[in-house]
Amino acid sequence: MKNPYIPKLAIIRRIKDETPNTRTFRLSFKDPDLQRNFKFSPGQFIELTVFNYGEAPFSISSSPLEREYLETTIRVAGTVTKALFSLKENDVIGIRGPFGNSWPMGKLKGEDVLIIAGGIGLAPLRPVIKQILSDRDSYGEVILLYGARTPKDLLYKEELKEWEKQIDVHLIVDVGDETWKGRTGVVTALFDEISVDPKSTYSLQCGPPIMMHFVTKKLVELGFSGDRIVFSLERLMKCGMGFCGHCMISGRYVCRDGPVFNYSQISNFLEVAL
Amino acid sequence: MERVKKITKDNFYELVERLLANYQVIAPVNKDGRVFYEYISNSKEVDMEYKGHTLLPPKKFFFPEKEVLFTYEKLNGDIIIYDKVQEIKEGRRVFLGIRPCDIMALKSLDKVLISEFKDPYYQARRENTIIIGLTCNEPTKYCFCAFTKTGPSINEGYDLLLTDLGHSYIVSIGSEKGLTLVKLNLDLFEEPSEEELKERDEILKTVEKEILKQELPDLTNIYEAMLRNFNAEIWKEYGEKCLACGKCNYTCPTCRCFDIFDDPNLDFKSGKRVRVWDSCHFLSFTKVTSGEIFRKERPSRVKQRIYHKYCYSIYDEGSISCVGCGRCIDVCPAKIDIREVARKVVSL
Repeated sequence: MKNPYIPKLAIIRRIKDETPNTRTFRLSFKDPDLQRNFKFSPGQFIELTVFNYGEAPFSISSSPLEREYLETTIRVAGTVTKALFSLKENDVIGIRGPFGNSWPMGKLKGEDVLIIAGGIGLAPLRPVIKQILSDRDSYGEVILLYGARTPKDLLYKEELKEWEKQIDVHLIVDVGDETWKGRTGVVTALFDEISVDPKSTYSLQCGPPIMMHFVTKKLVELGFSGDRIVFSLERLMKCGMGFCGHCMISGRYVCRDGPVFNYSQISNFLEVAL
Repeated sequence: MERVKKITKDNFYELVERLLANYQVIAPVNKDGRVFYEYISNSKEVDMEYKGHTLLPPKKFFFPEKEVLFTYEKLNGDIIIYDKVQEIKEGRRVFLGIRPCDIMALKSLDKVLISEFKDPYYQARRENTIIIGLTCNEPTKYCFCAFTKTGPSINEGYDLLLTDLGHSYIVSIGSEKGLTLVKLNLDLFEEPSEEELKERDEILKTVEKEILKQELPDLTNIYEAMLRNFNAEIWKEYGEKCLACGKCNYTCPTCRCFDIFDDPNLDFKSGKRVRVWDSCHFLSFTKVTSGEIFRKERPSRVKQRIYHKYCYSIYDEGSISCVGCGRCIDVCPAKIDIREVARKVVSL
């Protein structure tokens, strides 16, 4: 019987600063067989261990097609992330997973895709964008609306420029600075720059609950059906297997039945999910 | 057909001694007037005459309140992990005198912890433990198992199930493991008479009737009423009453929420990963690192436990996850009675 609580050892291969408080960690399993056999779908997450400090859930932010390593983009916030930020390249950490369901990648083919992200919420959507870019012609119009607190807080700054060549990218920040030429405001303001057909578009979003609340409202107004409004939810997740109970919303476990849900699903929840 | 035997009380205590030679034995033990399930070393410690339920449920013997999942050690830049499951697998235990409601609570935990994913610690303990249950001759004022369909008589979840006839026990055999145990100690068992079997059925029926004197709805079927009343005013009232102490969670035989953390040793080069019971009544239960708390208001936390028992479990596990043991009523410092809550919900 294999024990799903035992983390597999992995090595930090590269650390990249994304913003003043966010880094992307490139990881690969110590055991090359494990690395070769590690598969995940965009939207899934791992439980990452910093030994002596504990474990926390993070979405995988690299492409599922990349088999040499996986990446996770992390904002320093609590005990585990503070400890993780003190580690260096070649240090050893632990990984369990992948856990959870994934974005409905199969349904996106042949459709238009509207991706809406706030802050660190772009991390679980990066695998989606990378997978789309690897097979760009299979998808219709692809739009990214991305908002961050300040220009410095935008993730994947160089990649955004690359992505712009193949998909339609719109950025906004809450507070600009001297370098910022773009718009300021909340991410929903960007809706006036785009036109989408709700019948042929899937919307995928991840960001603070308040952002997803208002974006969802906007999408409903635009005529999106519930199954085409898709988001990734954040909850406290200790085990990843529907055991520990922390992530439960109305009888569903975000770690096991989610983190990806659509609006039709959460509309039937007794508790308010957003 | 039911496979059934009889054992006199004298022979039963002989059986316990024989079990003690081969197994670790858990049994009800009276301590200062309150009964607890405990490891015993002598058949004289067992209290088979206790009424109602033990103060604490049996879950800690399968899912301890604090448990080391693994230990780790940093060695020359590498990390070595020592899994604790193997040690559990080596154990052989008998759980004696456990009540039908508590047996059904273990069945309820099985549905969660041995499902799509398997909790290997829990599963190993379930597999290494023989269940010898004991039915009730008399309910307490807190008992309501007849309304949750988890007692006073049950037909699953045990290897052997005893019913006290005064001079001896009727022994219902519930599994091959139970049958083997009887066969290995055949000299201690007798064949029960038709009258004795009838007497057993009468005892269980009387207990059931006694419990059914309370006015309560069929709790296995209040799902619709729960759905209907999620935003009802009563939750505010209970939210104000509840002290959010978590006693109901800790004494509930089916509550199983837990936290996980690392406990480093003083050298900081080694340590253990630990899990401990948690409570959905605590404010910290839904707090994420960004600071967001998803169940901030107390009514939402009172609701979480009760909805999990009577509503969400039906969706997720196929049946309610309350077994009617009444412990949460017994221990609640705010005197919240889950039966009263159910009555109100159904009446609205």
